[in-house]
Amino acid sequence: MAATGTFPELPLFDLRLEEQDFEAVAETLRSGWLTLGPRTAAFEEAFAAHLGARHAIALSNCTAALHLAYLAAGVGPDDEVIVPSFTFAATAAAVLYCGATPVFAEIVSRERPSLDLEDVQRRITPRTKAVCVVHYAGYAAAADRLKELCDARGIALIEDVAHAPSATLGGRKLGTWGLAGAFSFFSNKVLSVGEGGLLCTDSDEIAAFVRSRRSHAMTSGTWDRHRGRTDTYDVTGLGFNYRLDEPRAALLLSRLERLEVDIARRRELTLRYRGLLGQVDGIIVPFEDADIPTSSCYVMPIMLERDGTQAEVSRRLRELGIQTSIFYPSIHRFTAYRERFPNLSLPITELASRTELTLPFYPHMTNDDQDRVVTALAKVVAR
Amino acid sequence: MSDWRVPLTDIAMPEQDVEAVLDCLRSGWLTMGPRTKAFEEALARYVGTPNAATVSSGTAALHLACLAAGLGPGDEVIVPAFTFVASASAPRYVGAEPILCDVRSAHDFNLDVEDVARRITPCTRAVIAVHFCGYPADVLALRKLCDEHGLVLIEDCAQAIGARVDDSARQVGTVGELGCFSFFSKKQLCVGEGGMVSTADEALDASVRLFRSHAMTSSTWDRHRGHDPVYDVVDIGFNFRLDEPRAALGLSRLQRLDESIAARRTIVRAYRERLAEVPGVELAFDEQAVERASHFAFPVLLADRDARDRFRAELKTNGIQTTWYPALHSFTEYQRFAPADGLPIATKVADRHCALPLSSTMEEADIEIVVDAVCSALARI
Repeated sequence: MAATGTFPELPLFDLRLEEQDFEAVAETLRSGWLTLGPRTAAFEEAFAAHLGARHAIALSNCTAALHLAYLAAGVGPDDEVIVPSFTFAATAAAVLYCGATPVFAEIVSRERPSLDLEDVQRRITPRTKAVCVVHYAGYAAAADRLKELCDARGIALIEDVAHAPSATLGGRKLGTWGLAGAFSFFSNKVLSVGEGGLLCTDSDEIAAFVRSRRSHAMTSGTWDRHRGRTDTYDVTGLGFNYRLDEPRAALLLSRLERLEVDIARRRELTLRYRGLLGQVDGIIVPFEDADIPTSSCYVMPIMLERDGTQAEVSRRLRELGIQTSIFYPSIHRFTAYRERFPNLSLPITELASRTELTLPFYPHMTNDDQDRVVTALAKVVAR
Repeated sequence: MSDWRVPLTDIAMPEQDVEAVLDCLRSGWLTMGPRTKAFEEALARYVGTPNAATVSSGTAALHLACLAAGLGPGDEVIVPAFTFVASASAPRYVGAEPILCDVRSAHDFNLDVEDVARRITPCTRAVIAVHFCGYPADVLALRKLCDEHGLVLIEDCAQAIGARVDDSARQVGTVGELGCFSFFSKKQLCVGEGGMVSTADEALDASVRLFRSHAMTSSTWDRHRGHDPVYDVVDIGFNFRLDEPRAALGLSRLQRLDESIAARRTIVRAYRERLAEVPGVELAFDEQAVERASHFAFPVLLADRDARDRFRAELKTNGIQTTWYPALHSFTEYQRFAPADGLPIATKVADRHCALPLSSTMEEADIEIVVDAVCSALARI
């Protein structure tokens, strides 16, 4: 197949919905009620129960969730928020939305590309308002120890749980360690809907703030007015339209039922991948087999041992019909961030970004698919 | 009171719309793909604009329009005081200052071009013209004013898709540098949450598209199709993307939009005919405006706030759902934005108006129920 302009035979991700999902969406559309209604409430309730969190608030996407999480933590101009650079740009961009400064911290290593607690500690200043920990690829970062550190210093801990909707640490769901957890339901995610997100929190005050700000800080919603509960409303702050709508809530509610089954399958596949990839020379497979039972196994990352081969390996795999991606380029090396932080150096993060490749991975992947990816990778890396 | 005899709005969802969404879900591709592109092309054709970029909401459309127009701290943006709050939030998202202006009259409550002119200062950079309730504002006059002062004209078409600015077929959203539309669930073209930015300017369109997806130089869809996996982030962008199921729904519903607007206009005319001679209630706008409007809402005027509130309470008792829009400067958050000279007409219209039920699915019997309820309410207040 041609290298560009066509679909890969083995894509990075592939989503399959089921008959019950279609039914749930169809039924919602036929109801004629499309925004912030009973289905959103039902999904929020189910997701909160799933997490063991007091509140779950459905939002338009994870970027919106991060924005509201930072605002809820009181982040504003002159504040600093410590974030990893080895993550999607939204983790840092949402800090800038608040007028604050993202302070980038290192990851532990290429073997464990999670936020490094000690580096976070070094970067705390009197201006540090919050730390955002990303549970990269669905694997728990040290949220427990970060929580202790943040509590001791009077700093808010925010969890970017975009990759990890059912992962745990010490038996506790990720997203529930910090002041707030920000989830993503983007189309390639473990629990996907298209565009969607959610914020969880145990704080009644933060939940009320987030519910207000997601819908223009209006004191009542269309649904309340439809039910005759209120006649008018006030606007009590600068809010946004960060609402999810009912068809997406219905789809999420339907898919949530199979989340654990999906993740169990992801874990099986990840263990099998790890077994095969362990035989391949010239690559590092991050994390350990022991991490798998508590991970949501969102993607399958590997690191190429040899620096400078990433583009070539990616290109050759693409020629063999295998799509790969880079999770993630270092945020601080993007043009928009180099302009703002010209002299920042994070050697471990930068090396990880230069050598990481994310392999095709989805729950209905077959053993043959995996074998093909690993064989191709071994062949390409050997060259 | 959730079972209204006549709700404020209602939508029809024929099976072809449901099928369009299911077809998309079956494809397994849910974000920024072929359906979004097809919807954008169809929207551009419908509105009569070279570029239409779908976004997550009307609010996001206004935010991106302000960003694309280069508005920022120190800039003033003139916004009518009688509108939904998003019109004024958008300049604030980019650090600019909304300057509230008054509307023309109780019977034509779009922004007053003369009042806009009075509020222009050396800091003014843009005007946001709202086509309220679907009635077109005088954007041709505003275009002239903005050109004379070097200002950007942003049209807030959230309630007005399909409305025409004059007797030609020229639609709202094509006069300003940027037009902002909403596909919220109560709108003439609705998908749940959604929006769109129209512009004739390629650079503005590129800017909107860049900022709606984190200022990334390539999308997931591009990469899926085999483009280079490497991308750059060249500015501080947002996630204001629409997704494919909503694009599929919008595309399917767009085919019936003209028909739906015509049905709304017919209902509005039926209302106007029956209410014209009823003492105690006044009609807003004239026949020319009715012809050009796309009829998001049907507002009528009562004597004063007290009469309006009692009128609404009577209708509610009768199972008729109504609504009204507070003026922005009456909100706690916006009191400080009220100019010293006040906004007397906007204040008065906000106090006096009431929007009666309106949807393309209303039948003659529904209109009768509402009109009867209006008459008996008026007799009792």
